[in-house]
Amino acid sequence: MAVKIIESCVNCFACEPVCPSNAIYEAKPHFLVDSKKCTECEGDFPVFQCASICPIEGAILDSLGLAINPPGSLTGIPPEKMAEAMAELQSH
Amino acid sequence: MQLPVLNDAPTSKGGCAASSCGSTDNQMDTLPDSIREKVQNHPCYSEDAHHYFARMHVAVAPACNIQCHYCNRKYDCANESRPGVVSELLTPDQAVKKTMAVAANIPQMTVLGIAGPGDPLANPERTFETFRRLSEEAPDIKLCVSTNGLALPDAVEELSKHNIDHVTITINCVDPEIGAKIYPWIFWKNKRIKGIKGAKILIEQQQKGLEMLIAKGILVKVNSVMIPGVNDQHLAEVSKVVKSKGAFLHNVMPLIAEAEHGTFYGVMGQRGPTPDELQDLQDSCSGDMNMMRHCRQCRADAVGMLGEDRGDEFTLDKIGDMEIDYPAAMEKRKVIHQAIQAEMDSKRLEKAEKAQQHKQEPKLTTRPVLMAVATSGQGVINMHFGHAKEFLIYEASPDGVRFISHRKADQYCGGDTTCGDGESTLQVTIRALAGCEAVLCSKVGYEPWEQLEAAGIQPNGEHAMEPIEEAVMAVYKEMAAADKLDDAKDSVRASA
Repeated sequence: MAVKIIESCVNCFACEPVCPSNAIYEAKPHFLVDSKKCTECEGDFPVFQCASICPIEGAILDSLGLAINPPGSLTGIPPEKMAEAMAELQSH
Repeated sequence: MQLPVLNDAPTSKGGCAASSCGSTDNQMDTLPDSIREKVQNHPCYSEDAHHYFARMHVAVAPACNIQCHYCNRKYDCANESRPGVVSELLTPDQAVKKTMAVAANIPQMTVLGIAGPGDPLANPERTFETFRRLSEEAPDIKLCVSTNGLALPDAVEELSKHNIDHVTITINCVDPEIGAKIYPWIFWKNKRIKGIKGAKILIEQQQKGLEMLIAKGILVKVNSVMIPGVNDQHLAEVSKVVKSKGAFLHNVMPLIAEAEHGTFYGVMGQRGPTPDELQDLQDSCSGDMNMMRHCRQCRADAVGMLGEDRGDEFTLDKIGDMEIDYPAAMEKRKVIHQAIQAEMDSKRLEKAEKAQQHKQEPKLTTRPVLMAVATSGQGVINMHFGHAKEFLIYEASPDGVRFISHRKADQYCGGDTTCGDGESTLQVTIRALAGCEAVLCSKVGYEPWEQLEAAGIQPNGEHAMEPIEEAVMAVYKEMAAADKLDDAKDSVRASA
């Protein structure tokens, strides 16, 4: 039972101080979660603290490997709209 | 304690606003002396000072506690110049070293700000460690901080301990329904709170923080991002509210939104305001509030005069090799600051005299004209047209000369000689000067001269090294004398 930070992390430090178990640490190329320490905030908070402040969709996965903040959930940008804009930019 | 209300100052007898009379468009002229003293060498707070003094930001604050629709934390493009973007995150220790290296090498640097790339007060340990060390080790540097305001009430006590007499709060709205269109979420009391509920908490914290800072005697500037169709109609109200609570300066900035920034507004095609829309809003707010118009919306790691970025000269690699004798540097800085101050004072006197003379002359009845100016500082026209990365825009009218804004000559994502549909840099520059009828610079090349004329912008290199306001007024009078200011020709003759 532990969350995982993946490569889309932008190293913004926001999650590190809010973790109740001190399970998050600075590492290269991005922050990591010590899976032995992570409690998924059980007993401390009803929601994942790291994933509640993380600004990057998809950067933190739950124990099933699913994005806690799926595409569009934080920015409000519909994923198809984002894909469209990125495709448009690449065609230039 | 309530700060004096700026527009309580009597307006000049000519009947126009004090800040735009004669050729003394100096926003600071309307400020009480106690405030003017605090901001006279602060380039971000004083239009006058920004011609002489430099600032720097240290990027020690990566974390943020809210999301704004104009911000995206993912991208860091070296060619971009906008808030929230940095190349190198610093520890407090590195930030102190960098600040002292810059202060020693750019003695006109007077101000150190912490502005991000996240929210400085969402990183209290890193931010306050930097301030604490700098106030001990480099006491001649002014410290300031900007914040979204969410964590501000909890930080006021600590801020007041660190000799920080300037705080900037970004306040885009005072109405949670509008806020919900700007802030998708905030992180508050261990939860992510979305929509109107989140915006309401943010607004309450901003207003509370503003009141607490004023009560402590700390100067507060309010930044607002103008987002057409979202808060443009609302910002006059924001201006009124923050002024009534004691903020001394309101800085309305245009939204920067490009799809390639990956922000909500960029991707969703939200446009920024045109220069005219921005100016109209600033003018409509200025009846209520001292407005700031010279902001360059700089990066959270900018170094140098406003409008320039010398960050490349002070990367961690480079400052690692620099030996800084700060006490010696401080002596040198003091001498230079005094010389600059003396120059500014004498220019202020000169300006006041010119304004007085201007009032004695028969008043023109011609229409106002926008002119662009190329300058590298010191308040004079001293830059070659082709070298200018930005132009300052002034309005000349029978009431005098006033500063309106700056316009970038190269685009936010510059670095290329061509842009978009193969437009040349010159064409982009000429387009950026739309609405201006003259451009004043130290020199203009043959090719740009022709193209500027063709675009209806009269190039003028006759006022090199002259003070900006005087030169703009001189050109305006020439235009009036040459009957170029069509309407009201008859009334000019009648009064002559």
